[in-house]
Formats: sequence, structure tokens, C-alpha cells
Amino acid sequence: MKRSNLIIPFGLAIVAMAVSLMLGRYGAYLAHVVAIAAIGAMSLNLLNGWCGQINFAQAALLGVGAYAAGNFGNAGWDLFSLPAAGIASALAAVLIGLPALRLRGLYFAIATLAAQFIFEYLFKFAEPITHGVSGLLIQPMKLFGRVIDTDQGYSVLAIFLLLLTWLFMTWIRRTDLGRAFLVVRENEVVARGMGINVPQTKMWAFLISGFFAGIAGALMGFTARLAHPEAFGMALSVDYIAMIIVGGLGSLTGSLLGAAFVTLLPEVIQRFGEAFHIADQLSALREMAFGLLIILFLIFEPRGLSAIFRRLDVRRLVARFRPHSTNPVRDQTENQPKWRSVE
Amino acid sequence: MSKLLRSAMITAGLLSCVAPAAAAEITFCMWGTITGPDALVNGMSYGPRDYMEFLNQTKGGIAGNKVKLLLLDGRYKLDEELKHYRRCVDQEQAVVVNGWSTGSVKALRDQITQDQVPFMTQSYASEVLDPVKLPYIFMAGPTYEQQMIIALRDAAKAGGKTVVIMHGDNEYGRGPTTVVRQSGVIEKLGLTLADTVEFPYDAQDITAQMLRVKARNPDLIYVQGSTPQLIVALRDAAKVGLSATKFVGNSYNISPAIPEQLGAAAEGFRAIQVYSDFGSDIPAMKDINAFKANNKVEKEDVYYMKGWMEGVAISKAIEAAIAKNGGKVPEDIKAFRKSVRDELENLRNVDDGGITPPLNYAGHQGTTQARLAVIKSGKYVPVGDWIDAQ
Amino acid sequence: MTFYLQLAVAGIAVGSVYALIAIGIVLIYKCSGVVNFAQGAFVMLGAYFTFALTRLGLVPVAAVAVAMLAMALVGMLTERLILRPMMKAPIVAIMAVTLGILILTRAVCLAIWGPDQIAFPKLFPDGAVNIFDVFITYNYLAAALLSVCLSLAFLAFYQFTSIGLKQRCAADNTRAALAIGIHTGNQNSLAWSMSAALAGLGGTLLATLNGLSLGLSDIGLVAFPVIVLGGLTSLSGAVVAGLLLGILQAFTDGVLTPLFETFLRTYTRIYSAGALQQVVPYLILVFVLLVRPQGIFGRRGTERL
Repeated sequence: MKRSNLIIPFGLAIVAMAVSLMLGRYGAYLAHVVAIAAIGAMSLNLLNGWCGQINFAQAALLGVGAYAAGNFGNAGWDLFSLPAAGIASALAAVLIGLPALRLRGLYFAIATLAAQFIFEYLFKFAEPITHGVSGLLIQPMKLFGRVIDTDQGYSVLAIFLLLLTWLFMTWIRRTDLGRAFLVVRENEVVARGMGINVPQTKMWAFLISGFFAGIAGALMGFTARLAHPEAFGMALSVDYIAMIIVGGLGSLTGSLLGAAFVTLLPEVIQRFGEAFHIADQLSALREMAFGLLIILFLIFEPRGLSAIFRRLDVRRLVARFRPHSTNPVRDQTENQPKWRSVE
Repeated sequence: MSKLLRSAMITAGLLSCVAPAAAAEITFCMWGTITGPDALVNGMSYGPRDYMEFLNQTKGGIAGNKVKLLLLDGRYKLDEELKHYRRCVDQEQAVVVNGWSTGSVKALRDQITQDQVPFMTQSYASEVLDPVKLPYIFMAGPTYEQQMIIALRDAAKAGGKTVVIMHGDNEYGRGPTTVVRQSGVIEKLGLTLADTVEFPYDAQDITAQMLRVKARNPDLIYVQGSTPQLIVALRDAAKVGLSATKFVGNSYNISPAIPEQLGAAAEGFRAIQVYSDFGSDIPAMKDINAFKANNKVEKEDVYYMKGWMEGVAISKAIEAAIAKNGGKVPEDIKAFRKSVRDELENLRNVDDGGITPPLNYAGHQGTTQARLAVIKSGKYVPVGDWIDAQ
Repeated sequence: MTFYLQLAVAGIAVGSVYALIAIGIVLIYKCSGVVNFAQGAFVMLGAYFTFALTRLGLVPVAAVAVAMLAMALVGMLTERLILRPMMKAPIVAIMAVTLGILILTRAVCLAIWGPDQIAFPKLFPDGAVNIFDVFITYNYLAAALLSVCLSLAFLAFYQFTSIGLKQRCAADNTRAALAIGIHTGNQNSLAWSMSAALAGLGGTLLATLNGLSLGLSDIGLVAFPVIVLGGLTSLSGAVVAGLLLGILQAFTDGVLTPLFETFLRTYTRIYSAGALQQVVPYLILVFVLLVRPQGIFGRRGTERL
């Protein structure tokens, strides 16, 4: 990877961490919720946007990560509970993905739906591990001997992990495996013809996606100090699907944007509502906005916010008004079919 | 400019919209289920807000300082509630926080003690009632376990033998049921627990569960559930011919919605009553009606009365704290909060206008007395005297 | 024995409503290949419409009829405004859009009618019959009979009428149907309208049984195990599977859960079996998908590699 490509993410991450340390508790909390959502969205994006495998069970994977991290953390694994949680979720993801090898499209989607509900039941049922409906109380994480128990602390940690996730995702996209994902998404028969081991590729997609979902879930658990079955229900899965739709299917920055949007828009609506004293109907308004977002983006701009921003690039706007200049960048974007996004 | 940079800027822009407002002198921050599964009983979130608003309108606030009020919608979702806690404590710099669910107060209990914020919870869970270890958490009545014991005592007195407990599959349902079951108090009263039947807390149809219960032929069926669940339960009990007279609910089941939606199927149902009903002949109703003349009262039920009573207790504590500080609101929020906590604990013999017997917060509960109320001709009618749960 | 009969009655009553709703989903799937996540929303909306119409003064029967018409309109509008523009989108995106419709509809109902349960007007008289010691309320009886009759009537319509024939053509092979002059776009709209109307009626019946609240939309998700079990392309499969699953849920609640709990309490530290009846349909779904993905009555399709 070119060094210039690394500077921006690193720089941004450092700025973000510094800012979140200066924000109040609430601001830091929001920042880190966005960071966690972004990690989760990127994980779903790898599976769904790049490899074309639908997954309604994202919330279940996050839950596995949270419960695993909670158990490991309470047992004293400290920092290692994070990767351990990731591995637990990766295994769960592979379990969910196994039927994928035999089912396709719609049927597989419904199978992941069933998996989500089955996991929800297990979270409530497996009391020795999960403490059932009471939820698993999680001790704050210890990092190199020091306890992290402030929102600012978790915010910094989450942003750091987001940076790592981002770097990993950009790296894997350039590997053979990453390219294999894209081919499998487009056409499995062609992939096979190219010599790609389709089942193995899919399994890798699930594994990696599950790992990062586990990390996100683990962070959720540590900050809330509780892993609770009701927190990992179908509604959360829908949230994540909305994030990658709004952000743009297949786009990495889209995952970040979508995560920020879906997480922060309710807050913004809430503040506007309070300012204009229409607090009563706020929840309904938020839900309406959410539903409308999904519908409108899918109908009109399925490449999501990231595509909208590409169009807002100043250079491109200028070029558009100069009819005689050729702009290979614009031509390439314009001619891309609506439903694919690779970058 | 790279897309990543632009994305980050948008995120920052969105974040900046949630900047903190200027902190008022006295802020009372609440959250409740304004919309959500148990929104039916959210009168108890409107109650304290309305009482404080009443003070603002009639007396200019507490000791002359207007109270800033914020009521947030927790939607009965844990992550929403946890977010609201942080906003209340950090951004709004509230001196007292009023929370809703059992789950959230349990998750937050260590943080509340760490943050040293007086917290009045709507929950009655015994795990968060500990004046020594959790000095900042207060509640507004007898615990669920105490309520269940009152019903059991009544059943034993009436000569009953078998008991069935039904509960939802959430913390609110399972927790108290497990505590009572494991404590052995049922056997001590001479009763037998024939079965505990669990149902999904958002189930719309529990007819099969009702059949199970009917097969046990119990004398008392205690339902540790919320009003929406009771509505489903009694409706399905009627479907299978199980009489409502065998059912007893906890203090969350005195909602007018039950007789309203079930009609004849609800006759004979009993529930634990901790607070006098809305519209009963008590002094507090004068204030409430005065407030109602100029404002909208969202819910006119017994839960509103609970909320009103919480408002009374909290305002008295704040008043005492201000008085101890020479009549001025303390500058340091931490000191203010600590002082309010101490004053709340020191409340003795406080008259809340007849909603409950005089309040005593030494045990952090306010009142531990309750009585049974039965549905007769579509209205709840108290049965017997106030019984002390202890 | 009465116990089991009673369970069966409860199961059939609920199952017949499942069947009604599942027929709607299968109908849309056959015609346009879309799995409609928003079916639950149509169920809920239909019930709320009926309620609103009775509030306006209409007689219950008239209210139900008008509500069904309104739902048919909603279905058609949904197809025209939201689904048409998405014709070329991948199936997953269309499923996501129907999810969006579900969320939006719930939010609108929340805004208009509030989050609380509402007393639903009585459509059937109070009281019950006692057959072989089994207690069946008029409500139950009526809901079950209506659902079954309507489902059968619909099957007959689909099989024996000319419109039904056109629907089947359009569902079978869009190109061929177009070639012989069938307006597949109209057929699509028709499928959506009928589906929404059926869902609306199902919602009204469900509301008479269980009351009116936003929770009615949850039934849309339970319909998925039904259609997978019955076969995504089979209407009669939807009816049979709906009844089967309703009975299965009732028996899980009444028989399996106590057995399971006794087992758990003897051999493990776990005390409660939890919401077993909510998860059993999904376990069955996974089992069917792995063993016989086309369901009981479906055709072997391209659901497997």
C-alpha cells in the first residue's frame, strides 16, 4: 500500500481520538457508538456488499461477540478477550454460513433470518453462559493493567480498532481472496470456471466478517457493562442492513457514512424536535425517517451516500460545466451499472 | 479530497448537532417508555414531570428556582436508556435522574454509585434496593417480591392450596419470580407451587399456556407481568374458560385499559394497589385538577399518581438541600447531588396528599404498604386495608 | 384428552390466520419473485383501518369490507410506486425495500394511533360453545371458519377462474405471458392488491382474537417458516403449512415446553425453557431448508446449487 494512502486514515484516527477525549461524556459515547457501528457495518459490507451473501443474523454475531468478550473479560483475559470474541463470532458465522453452501439467494436469506431468531433464543436460554434474561454483567476491560471505565477511554479504543479494521479491509480487497469475493458475488459459475473454490471463498467471507462483528460486539459489551439478549435482536440486524444500504453497498467509506448516519440521525431529529417542542411524536418521526431512508435510497440511489458524495466532488462539478473537456473519471462513474459498487 | 476525509467531515458535522445545551440551575431529567411495549403505564413518567411543572407554574419552582425538565423516550430499549443516562448525567447536569426499566437500573447500578447521582427508578426490583451498597438508588414502593408475598398471604388466609405463577420471559418477569420461588416463602405459608409458566413478553397469544395453567386447577394464579401482558393473559384465559377471579396481578396491573378492553372477562381480577387511584377523594387530586385546568394530563390513571408522588418526594428533598445551603442552589453539582441524596434518605412522614400513607425513605422505598383492588363493574375497588409488606 | 383437543382447537384458530397471511406472501412471490417482508405491516394496517372505520360510525361488517378495499388500494400503490422502479434490482435489495415499508408503516401507525393497545370493536358475539368438553369461544370459531373458508375460496378462484388463470400464467413464465397478451404489470398489481386485502382481513381477525396493537405486525415474520414449510410456490401448501404450524406451536406450548422444562430442571441448572414456541418454527425452517428446500408442496426450483 502506498504510504500516502495510509496517512489520511492514520491522521483522521488520531484527530478523532483527540477530539473524543475532549468531548464530554455524552459526545464521547456517541463517537464510540458510531465507531462500533462502523466496524460492524464494514464487517457486513464484506459479506454482503463484496461477496454478495445476505445476512440477517448480524445482530446475533454481535451478540456472540459481546457474550464471549464478557465471559473472557470476567475471567481476566483483558485485552485478549477482544480477539477471542472475534474468533467466537467467526465460528458462529461459519456455522450460519454452512447452509449457504447449499442454498442460494432468497432461501439463504430466510435461513439467516431463522439463524437470528435461533440465536436470540439461545442468548436467553443458555443461562450458565449468558445469564439468560438478566444479562451478563461485564467488568470494565483492563488494558495493560489499567482499567478502562470512562466513555472517553472506550471511545479512543473503538476508534483505534476502527482504524485497524479499515486498514485490514483495504488490504484484503487487493488480495486474491478479496477479488475472489467480488467474482463470486457477480457469478458463481464464472468464478468456478476461473478456478476459484467457491465454497471456500464464501467460508472465508463469513469467517472474516464474523470476526469483525465479534470485535464490534465485544466493544458494545464492555461499554454497556452488560450483554443483554434484547439488545441483539432483529431490529439491530435491520439497523446494520440499513447502514450499508444508506452508505452504499460494497463501499468501504459508505459503511462509515452509513454507520454515522443511522446512528446519529435519530439524535439530530431528537434535538430538532426538542428545539421546536414537538417532542411527543419524535419516536414515530425517527422511525418514519428510518423507513423512508431505506426505501428512497434503494429506489433512487442504491449506491448510497458514497455515490452522492462522489458527485459532489468539486472537480467533477467543474468539469461538468466545461462541455468540451473529456473527463474519464466522470465517464467511468456514470457508466457504472446502478447496482454494483467497487472501489 | 478523498472520500474518507469527506465522510469524516460529515460525521463530525452530525456529531456537532448534539452539542450540550446550557445547564440550568435545577435540572430534573427523566426517561420512560413514551412509545414501546409498556407505554400503557407511562403515566408514571408524566407524573413527576407534571408535578415539577405544577411547582414551576404555581410557586415559581423550588425555593424560587424554576426546574428545567426533560422527559426522554427510552422505548424500553436498553441501549436507548443507557444513552439517556449519560445525557442526563453529563450533558444536562441533572441533579436527580428518573429511570424506567429494571434492566437499565441493574446495568447502571455501579455507575450510578460511581457518578453519585440520586436515581429514582420506576422499577421495584429487589436487586437494586440496598441503602448501604447502592446508596444513590431509590424506588417508589414495595418490591415485586413483597407484592407477590402480599398476594400469597391473602390466598393462604382464604384457604387456598395451590399456586401457579405466570411471568414474561424478560428480567422483569423472571427475576422476582425466581427470588420468591427460591426463598421458600410459598411453602412457609402452607401453599404449594404447582407450576411456573413462562411466556414471551411480547406474545400476542398465550392460549396454550392458559390451558396448561387450567389443567393444574390452582386457587391463585399470580401474574408477574405488565398491563399489556395481563390483557393478553385474561383474554386467553376467557378463551379457555378460566375465570379472572383466580388471577392476581402486581401494582402494574391497575390500568383502566384492562376492564376497558376486556369487559366482562376482567370482572373479579385483582391487583396490588400501592397508590390511590386517579380521581379518588384525596387532597392530591385538588392539585392535579388545578394543574389539569391549564395543562394537558397525558394519562389519568394510578401510575400518574405514582409519578406525582415521586415528584413530591424529590421536590421535598431538593427543597431541603437548598435550605441546608442557606437558601441558594449549590454551585457544585456533585455537592448538590450528594446533598439531595442525603435529604431524600432523610424524608420521614411526608404527606403526598393521600396518594399513599405518609412517606418514609429510610429504606429507600418510600412506602411498603399495599392493598388488593378488585375489578367490579369495570372499575377497580379497593379490598381491605393497607397491608404492610414487611 | 380434552386438553389435547383444546390445544388443537387453539392451534387451528391461530394457524388458519397464519394460512391467510401466508397465502398473500406466496401470491406475491409467485407473481413477481419478491418475498414481502411488509406483509406483517399490511396485517396491522388492515386491523387499524377497520378500527378507524368503526370509529367513524360504520357497522363492523361494512368496516371490514371497506378496510379490505382500502388495503387493496394500499397494495396496488405499493407495487406501482415502490416495487415497479425496483424491477431490475437484485432480490436482496427488494427484500430490503419491503423491510423499509414495514418500518415506515409501523411508524405511521404509531404516529396516528399511538403505542398503546386499543380495544378492538366486537365483531362476533361474546360467549362460547362446548363441544366434547372443549371450550371454544365464538370469536375463535368465527376466525377459524372465516380464514379457512376464505383460503379455500381463494384457492378455488386462483385455480378455476380466468383471472386466476392469467395470474398463474404471469407467475409461471413472464415472457410467455407477455407474448400471449397478458399485461404482467397489471397482474403484478392485482397480486399485490389481493395479497394486501387478504392480509388486512387476517389482521382484523387476529385483532378480534388478540386485540389491536402495533405488535400485530410481528406475525409477518412467523409467516416465513410457514411458506418455507409449505413451499414458496404453493398456495395450498401455504394453507396446510399454516394450520400445521399453528397446531405445532400450540402443542409446543402446551406439551413440549413442560416436558422440556422437567428435563432441564432434572439434569441441568437451567430452570426455564423460554419462548420455545417462538423458536420451534425457525428450527423447522432450517431443517426443511436443509433436507427438502422446496417444502411439502413446492416444485423443485433453483433454490439449491
